[in-house]
Amino acid sequence: MRRSTAAAVGTLTGAALIVGVRLSVQPPAPPAAASSSVDLVGDTPTDSSSKAAGSSSKKPAASSSSKAAASEEKAKNGLKDGVFKGKGSTNPYGTIQVSIKIADGKITAADATYPTTGNSATINPGAVAKLKQETLQKQSADVAAVSGATYTSQSYQESLQAALDSAKA
Amino acid sequence: MRHVEQVMGTAVSIELADDRPDPELRALIDDVCGWLHEVDARFSTYKDDSEVSRMRRGELTAASCSDDLRQVLAACADLWRDTDGYFDAYAAGPLDPSGYVKGWSVEVASDRLLAAGSANHYINAGGDIRMRGLHPEGGPWRVGIRHPWEADKLSWVLALTDGAVATSGTYERGNHVLNPRTGTPARGLRSVTVVGPSLALADAYATAALAMGEPGLTWLAKLATDGYDSAVVTDDGRAFSSANLPAAV
Repeated sequence: MRRSTAAAVGTLTGAALIVGVRLSVQPPAPPAAASSSVDLVGDTPTDSSSKAAGSSSKKPAASSSSKAAASEEKAKNGLKDGVFKGKGSTNPYGTIQVSIKIADGKITAADATYPTTGNSATINPGAVAKLKQETLQKQSADVAAVSGATYTSQSYQESLQAALDSAKA
Repeated sequence: MRHVEQVMGTAVSIELADDRPDPELRALIDDVCGWLHEVDARFSTYKDDSEVSRMRRGELTAASCSDDLRQVLAACADLWRDTDGYFDAYAAGPLDPSGYVKGWSVEVASDRLLAAGSANHYINAGGDIRMRGLHPEGGPWRVGIRHPWEADKLSWVLALTDGAVATSGTYERGNHVLNPRTGTPARGLRSVTVVGPSLALADAYATAALAMGEPGLTWLAKLATDGYDSAVVTDDGRAFSSANLPAAV
């Protein structure tokens, strides 16, 4: 009993570490990798097992379950049935907690919870990590030119750029 | 010297800040305008005798077309790959490289100005800007990014001496940017600005990120390693910027 508990705790710690590392380490983005398969949801695109599992950005733990299963084999111990929660792993955006479900001594599901405070609930951690959220400004400053969505010749007339051009003409 | 030229279906604002006699500046501006009209004639999808129209009809092939068109097609193919298909010159069916041609033509125009001795200038083609050197009163060019809801307000002010600023948004002509994967209008992001060395790439990147919607935030973050920074406003009014965006102090 004690050994099986120890095995479950070990597995959980391993899964939490794997997920923690996956979320805290910025995914490498060499141009070559980006060109073949661009990571649009913040998950690791090169991991074929996670693709096959159809994992979404919310469940990077799915691919780590295979590694957890491997350590389960190593332990050669039956796991206690139930749902187990790992110790929370804290990154700059909050605490991530991994949970696994064990049935018949095997891991049947793995999931992770993410910080749900503020706006981060709707944005995957990778986006928050690199594009800093700030307050939308409303300013009218002294500028030489204005960048905006493509205007037609007609809408140019109403643009700030047109006002600048006529002011300096 | 300032000049506004109506070409390529939009207004192109040109400012030369070099301390040179007016006739020389006028000649430089004329050269830029001549080039932009040439590009319009050769690459417009609205002109039946343009090279792009002739290629659409099969009268030109990649082997028989001009070096410029071959270069544009190669760049569009690279961008299609680099944006995971979100920049697509065939999004609407037949070949339409307009999303690349405008930025590229301004990039070339700026290069021509530099070669002709103008080291201080900017060209703003419908909101996409390429600038070099210094402002007429000295110091870097200050560029405002339009507020996505209020046309007469700015959401960021940047300061650049050499580089490009391109903005794509859904506010100007409605949902005209399509997600090429679904064929439906892009949703999630209201304004995407990309700042970097090349206007041709910055413009295409901004368009691609807008088509991606909110996942575009993650994709844009990766461009920072290539020297392309970004500033984004979502449909629900959240603002994001990359760490090295050259915001004016």
